Amino acid sequence: MLTKLPLLLAALMLSVAALAADNQYVLGVDGLACPFCAYGIEKRLHKVDGVADIQVDVADSVVRVTLREGKALTEEQARQAVEEAGFTLRSFSGAEGESGRQSAQ
Amino acid sequence: MRSNIHPRATPLLVGALLLAAGATAQAAPNTFNTALPVARDQYIWREQFVWRERSDDGPMERDVSVQALGSVLGYGVTPKFALFGMVPYFFNRELQVTTPTGRIARDTDGIGDISLFGRYTLYQNDFTGGTFRVSPLFGLTAPTGDDNDRDRFGELPRPLQAGDGAWDAFGGVVATYQTLQYQLDAQVLYRENGHHDGFARGDVTRFDTSLQYRIWPRSLQGVSGTPGFVYALLESNLVHRERDVTGRDADAHSGGTQWLLAPGLQYVTRSWIVEGTLQLPVAEDPNGDAIDDDYIVRVGFRRNF
Repeated sequence: MLTKLPLLLAALMLSVAALAADNQYVLGVDGLACPFCAYGIEKRLHKVDGVADIQVDVADSVVRVTLREGKALTEEQARQAVEEAGFTLRSFSGAEGESGRQSAQ
Repeated sequence: MRSNIHPRATPLLVGALLLAAGATAQAAPNTFNTALPVARDQYIWREQFVWRERSDDGPMERDVSVQALGSVLGYGVTPKFALFGMVPYFFNRELQVTTPTGRIARDTDGIGDISLFGRYTLYQNDFTGGTFRVSPLFGLTAPTGDDNDRDRFGELPRPLQAGDGAWDAFGGVVATYQTLQYQLDAQVLYRENGHHDGFARGDVTRFDTSLQYRIWPRSLQGVSGTPGFVYALLESNLVHRERDVTGRDADAHSGGTQWLLAPGLQYVTRSWIVEGTLQLPVAEDPNGDAIDDDYIVRVGFRRNF
């Protein structure tokens, strides 16, 4: 049983990740170049209804936003949050890569 | 000046005290401002402890010591407009001098003159992994500090008081170029000091520059998330102060030009910044007799919320 436990945990983590990815968005943000600046973006995005988690990859200038099940993030909401933080939305896409969500400023 | 000590000693304190208070009025880099944004409804809280020592080798062996804490609260009114308030608190402002009757010290403490200023992002060019911004700023300093403190020798000299008793105005422009590897800031600032009770500190013009270079992580390749950055920084402050005015007369032994360099370190995370610099005088061209700077230590933190 103990030997199977790590496999079960890994399977569970993969399942959770797959579920989360279904409702995850990737925002390209221009102007972001230091950790301290990332906080403002997180703060504005957290005000969007349904946002469950935000990961800022400062080195890649992208922000990954995960929403709760049944919630969605529109490009306009993302643009508004990023601009209210003082930055520029470069691109917007769902993690599943729907081309309709791709945009470039 | 109503000094009981030396008519020249007290005006020369003005530069030291103004610099100690004025620099902490800025929100960033370590010795002045930045054009980086404050998000709408975001607060930035900053505390900076300043320890400044000045001395000379003249017959009066003047020593000036200032220990102060600058508390700054910034608020993002809009993504382009931020307000900052600064409250200086002086733990000690002390002048030691040798007189014919021996060595004496005069000092004071307490809250200084509170400043409020606004900064607007006039130009913004964002690109992937960087930004360039230009922001004018304008502010006022209110006469909230005590300007008539006394000791056993009588009323303290005006420059030694925690406040100058006058409304002051300041304005300038700050520009910032930031990438993931380094940041450059430059600022031009002019401060016009008001008159109160027959005295006015000399107006101040300053030109500041700062280079912050990321030394850790050395590379961001393969780095995910928002790791803390360590920056090495070098700041330059060129400060020109006009002569003080007492009554209608300019004091020949006040004001001058000074150039300071400040190496330092910053540890920057998404919520905190811890920082420290050591400001050292490189060149000084005072008017008349002047007391020289020895060093200025600045340590502090900033907090996002």
